[in-house]
Amino acid sequence: MSKPRFQAEWEEIDEEYQQLQETHKIYRQKLEELTSLQATCSNAISKQRKCLKDLRHSLTKCAQTCDEKELKLITDIKTQIKDKENVFFDMEAYLPKKNGLYLNLVLGNVNVTLLSNQAKFAYKDEYEKFKLCMTIILMFGAITCLFFLNCRVTDEIFNFLLVWYYCTLTIRESILINNGSRIKGWWVSHHYVSTFLSGVMLTWPEGPMYQMFRSQFLAFSIYQSFVQFLQYYYQSGCLYRLRALGERNQLDLTVEGFQSWMWRGLTFLLPFLFFGHFWQLYNSVTLFRLARHEDCKEWQVFMLALTFLVLFLGNFLTTVKVVHQKVQKNPEKVQKTD
Amino acid sequence: MSKNLKNILEEWKGLEEEYQQLQETHRMYLKKLDELSKLQNSCSSSISHQRKRLNEISQLVKKSSKGPSEEDAKILDEMKEKIKNRPNAFFQMEAFLPKKNGLYLSLVLGNVNVTLFNKQSKFAYKDEYEKFKLYLTVILLLFSFISYFFVSYRLSDVILNFLLVWYYCTLTIRESILITNGSRIKGWWVFHHYISAVLSGVMLTWPEGNLYHIFRNQFLAYSLYQSFVQCLQCYYQSGCLYRLRALGERHNMDLTVEGFQSWMWKGLTFLLPFLFFGHFWQLFNGLSLFRMAQLPECKEWQVSVCGLCFLILFAGNFFTTVAVVRQKLKSRNQKPKSL
Repeated sequence: MSKPRFQAEWEEIDEEYQQLQETHKIYRQKLEELTSLQATCSNAISKQRKCLKDLRHSLTKCAQTCDEKELKLITDIKTQIKDKENVFFDMEAYLPKKNGLYLNLVLGNVNVTLLSNQAKFAYKDEYEKFKLCMTIILMFGAITCLFFLNCRVTDEIFNFLLVWYYCTLTIRESILINNGSRIKGWWVSHHYVSTFLSGVMLTWPEGPMYQMFRSQFLAFSIYQSFVQFLQYYYQSGCLYRLRALGERNQLDLTVEGFQSWMWRGLTFLLPFLFFGHFWQLYNSVTLFRLARHEDCKEWQVFMLALTFLVLFLGNFLTTVKVVHQKVQKNPEKVQKTD
Repeated sequence: MSKNLKNILEEWKGLEEEYQQLQETHRMYLKKLDELSKLQNSCSSSISHQRKRLNEISQLVKKSSKGPSEEDAKILDEMKEKIKNRPNAFFQMEAFLPKKNGLYLSLVLGNVNVTLFNKQSKFAYKDEYEKFKLYLTVILLLFSFISYFFVSYRLSDVILNFLLVWYYCTLTIRESILITNGSRIKGWWVFHHYISAVLSGVMLTWPEGNLYHIFRNQFLAYSLYQSFVQCLQCYYQSGCLYRLRALGERHNMDLTVEGFQSWMWKGLTFLLPFLFFGHFWQLFNGLSLFRMAQLPECKEWQVSVCGLCFLILFAGNFFTTVAVVRQKLKSRNQKPKSL
């Protein structure tokens, strides 16, 4: 008879269900305890920060009117205060924090802090895979538009894809920064500038001016996607090696430029990068010339010229700074060992 | 040693003690975090295991329903009730467990967890979503107003369209997050934001020309009207929802939407004519665009695509709203019969 069979099974399931409810209750309780611990830690950290700041002020004032022994003590304390700042930064990587303006606008106040090292690393890994995949897709898109399809619609689709890609990158990078990644300055802003550029390209109407610039732009996109692909591929390998040696932080990312750690094996990328930068300058100059053409009535031309110029300046100057730092360091090293 | 320095050193010592305490608390926190994530995993796997077994046993119950004795039938019915209600319990439990993001959120955000872990946060997030909608709708209203009456540049139209695309895309992201957090917004009310984003995107690419100017005023007037109606809706719906939640008749995570839902019969019926007028304006836009597409001078593909989008919007909005009205009329007709 099947009756006892399914009744027995049901009782088994019911028992497991009761267990599940118990576990879930414990879970909810622990969740609340954790939330209050989070609040305690966050409050304690901000209080410590404030007090340390005031203390540093008083120390600086005091340093003006004391002897040599006291000065040494003061400097000692100041160093300890600085070390504490780093500790707080690391602690906060595991505490939920408020989103910045950009994330608040797009996502609202949902918490995007990943609370374990593996989760952070997995997220960063996923970000880099995303960049690699999208770069390949964009390269094929540009090749298709340049060599096979000569239609405004496919150009529009390509530009929309670019806008979406750069916007998504900005969102994901904001999340990474929230999670303790130290990407800074130009390498974040230049995605916003690229979004703007692609957006303006989108609205450029069909016309002789557009046709004159189109091939140059698509060829540039192909080259840029190719170089970005090279970069991500070699950079992730290099970062992996350096992390294994303990020389870089877990959350360092691949970027579209040259950073100080890349001297170890990625120097061959530099000429490719500089060529890309000068191509951006060339785009800008071409567009400025087109803007002065008598047939040119579109505001997009001048705006794009400016944007390409900004991209060139940002990329070129940031890269030159890295080279400059390296060149300065090398002669110093030689002097030290003499 | 100067007095100042002595005071500072005492303060420093006090801070050091607090710092040690903080490190202890943080260490305890990390340990609890670890325990919690283990609990999360065990709960999640239990729930999926239970779901599977529930499925198996409901198959078994179905098979056994053929020719049972009276006693068995009673037991079977009880079991069927419980089997039906269990998924609801699972759904509620899962609202507090981290879950994988759907395709859209995975593409845009990656695998960051967007589940809010307590009721107040969920509610605060929903509240913020509705404020966001209200503010953006007011901004869009003002912008359409200025574009319609005062400014006639392609550049400001482009900015308005970019704002619309960004607004609808952001809404889709936030709504996906709300759905992950247990909100039951369904079907058309989510999908029509994607269609609106596509519509605004296509309007963006429509080049300057005669046809664009013929349609521009109609489109801006329509945007103006739609923003106005959405403002009304957000404003009155949130008031109504607040009242119904206080009475315990609606769920905490119910949202204001750009349409008519069953709970709105209690006091928001006046919105219906405004909504229907908006839907017919969408139909009118669709028909105007299709007429324009058939003109000999029309070379732009944007015209027919926008026409299609407007028709889809009209069909979706109109039929969804009519379905709500029909349900209400049906339930009214049934009530006298039960007396």
